[in-house]
Amino acid sequence: MSPCAENPYLPKVAVLDRIVDEIRDVKTFYWHFEDPAEQEAFRRFMPGQFAQVSVFGAGEFPASLPPSPTERETFFTIRKVGSVTGALFNLKPGDRFGVRGPYGNGFPMKRYAGQNLVIVAGGIGLIPLRSCIIYAKDNRSQYEKVQIFYGARTPKDLMYREDLKRWEQASGMECHLTVDRGDETWTGHTGVVGALFKKPGVSIPVQNTTVFVCGPPVMFRFVLKDLKALGFDDRQMVSTMERYMKCGIGKCGHCCIGVAYVCTDGPVFTLEQIKKLGEEI
Amino acid sequence: MRARALDPGDVLRLVDVLRRDREVLAPFAGRGRDTVFDTVTDANRDRLQVHLPNPYYPPKRFVFPHIQRMLRIDAASGRFEPLHDEKPRAIFGIRSCDVAGIHHQDRFFLGGAFRDVYYERFRKSLFLVNVVCTDPERDIDENCFCVCAETGPAARDHFDLQLMDLGGVFLAVAGSEAGEALFAEPFFRKATPDLVERRRRLLADVRGRFKAATSWYSAATRLITQGKVTEEAWEEVGNRCLECGGCVYVCPACNCFTVTDRKTGPETVERVRIWDACALGGFTRMAGGHNPRKAVHDRRNRRFFRKLAHYFVQRELSVACVGCGRCVNVCHGDVGMPSVVEILRRRSVQDERHEPVR
Repeated sequence: MSPCAENPYLPKVAVLDRIVDEIRDVKTFYWHFEDPAEQEAFRRFMPGQFAQVSVFGAGEFPASLPPSPTERETFFTIRKVGSVTGALFNLKPGDRFGVRGPYGNGFPMKRYAGQNLVIVAGGIGLIPLRSCIIYAKDNRSQYEKVQIFYGARTPKDLMYREDLKRWEQASGMECHLTVDRGDETWTGHTGVVGALFKKPGVSIPVQNTTVFVCGPPVMFRFVLKDLKALGFDDRQMVSTMERYMKCGIGKCGHCCIGVAYVCTDGPVFTLEQIKKLGEEI
Repeated sequence: MRARALDPGDVLRLVDVLRRDREVLAPFAGRGRDTVFDTVTDANRDRLQVHLPNPYYPPKRFVFPHIQRMLRIDAASGRFEPLHDEKPRAIFGIRSCDVAGIHHQDRFFLGGAFRDVYYERFRKSLFLVNVVCTDPERDIDENCFCVCAETGPAARDHFDLQLMDLGGVFLAVAGSEAGEALFAEPFFRKATPDLVERRRRLLADVRGRFKAATSWYSAATRLITQGKVTEEAWEEVGNRCLECGGCVYVCPACNCFTVTDRKTGPETVERVRIWDACALGGFTRMAGGHNPRKAVHDRRNRRFFRKLAHYFVQRELSVACVGCGRCVNVCHGDVGMPSVVEILRRRSVQDERHEPVR
């Protein structure tokens, strides 16, 4: 074979270590690369980046990276929605699958140094933002105030329950939870995530702050309205976009929104950028 | 100009020289108006023609195949190997518009942060013999508009060898070192200044022989880039689209693809990539069913936005339309590139005129 550029479509072999149940139809898959050198290289990813996951014989899909580069383990948290994620759910520890990446721009966490971070997540929107939260927690001295607002439909739909407990008890960061509908065990706040901003004792600084928003489209629209009312402008709000993707490297054309390829120009965009893409989202 | 003269009878000898160490593909007449690129063999070489209509099915498939095998996977062990095709090929008789199409694919697949190695391997082993369209009857179709796209009738660059029929004699121009190396063959003669002058005069004449089709991109590019195209204009285009995807498949500059794993045996799987089309409903549909681009005009217009927005022209430094006119020929709803450019201009100009006077 003549020497050519490295094949960017070639997955690297990963081994599944263990599977942890999160909520209904959502599981976390811990894995490592067969080749330790690949593992070292991969761990240089940034929060907000993503990877292409191959289940051989079923296909490939894009998945955000919930771990922070400051953590030791690598894992994906996946909701079973289609044929390839369905095939991933059938794998057992020890099985091989493929991963290539990391891809995308990611959140510029270093540029946010010295700022307040407000993280607003709804449902499984916490998956990509988990990475930012852990990153901020492990580099706590670099940031001012860190506040987390997280909402889910019911207490059973809250993601990363162990992490949530730790974040609620951690000194130096606030973690506010809410559910749309409580159950007999729920003693916390009930209502939409935007209602948490007005909870007694909560004060959100608007100056020198970046807000991360990620969640289902309805939640997204209402949270933006609430944040606007607090005085945030479009440049301060960042989110990560989700699109059908086949290559992850700006070639297949599926994830294009207006003038941007979500895979290479994104998936992280400020609200200001999203509005300038030239296409409705 | 590195040029030589060639007798019409020696064109086949040139094809035979190319066939020594590579597969040569050339357009052949089929049924009716149809023409198709096929491999030149001993059996069909005598049917080779220099002047004939450009095939609908574009030669981009020799660098970006309709269905391409990317990986062979053993499903049981999870082991896989990449599949590559590096067979040397030459296209004899590629038209100038399609030369520009392949150049656009080069800019797209080999540019940006990632190089597409599958494309690169095809491209590195491909030799292009461009034939200039000089016969207004057989070469130039009523929907050709390469003159507007500035890609023809004679390509300026990006070919290995260019042939032009001056009537009784061909002028050959080398566009690469590999092309120039062919001039060592004994059937090439020295070109005279008289031939070069005949080439210039013939080209000026042919430029005037183009038919009705025109496409004023610059105006459409300006309207799109400035966000001045109204929703109604896009809707008019969308309403005429039948969502067949034909324009994408015949377009020398389109390059979207989907990737899928298909079973080839009890335990073996191949990962293949297949041409995809932004006009089709499932193009942006995610697992779970959410589709951010639902309305047909959203999808339809996507293609023209992608081709004409200044941002993309700047990104690839080449417009994703080469003026071949194939989309006009295949579109049932008459929304090929020239019609769309016209609709965008007409609609936007009308709207400007109806602005209330203050």
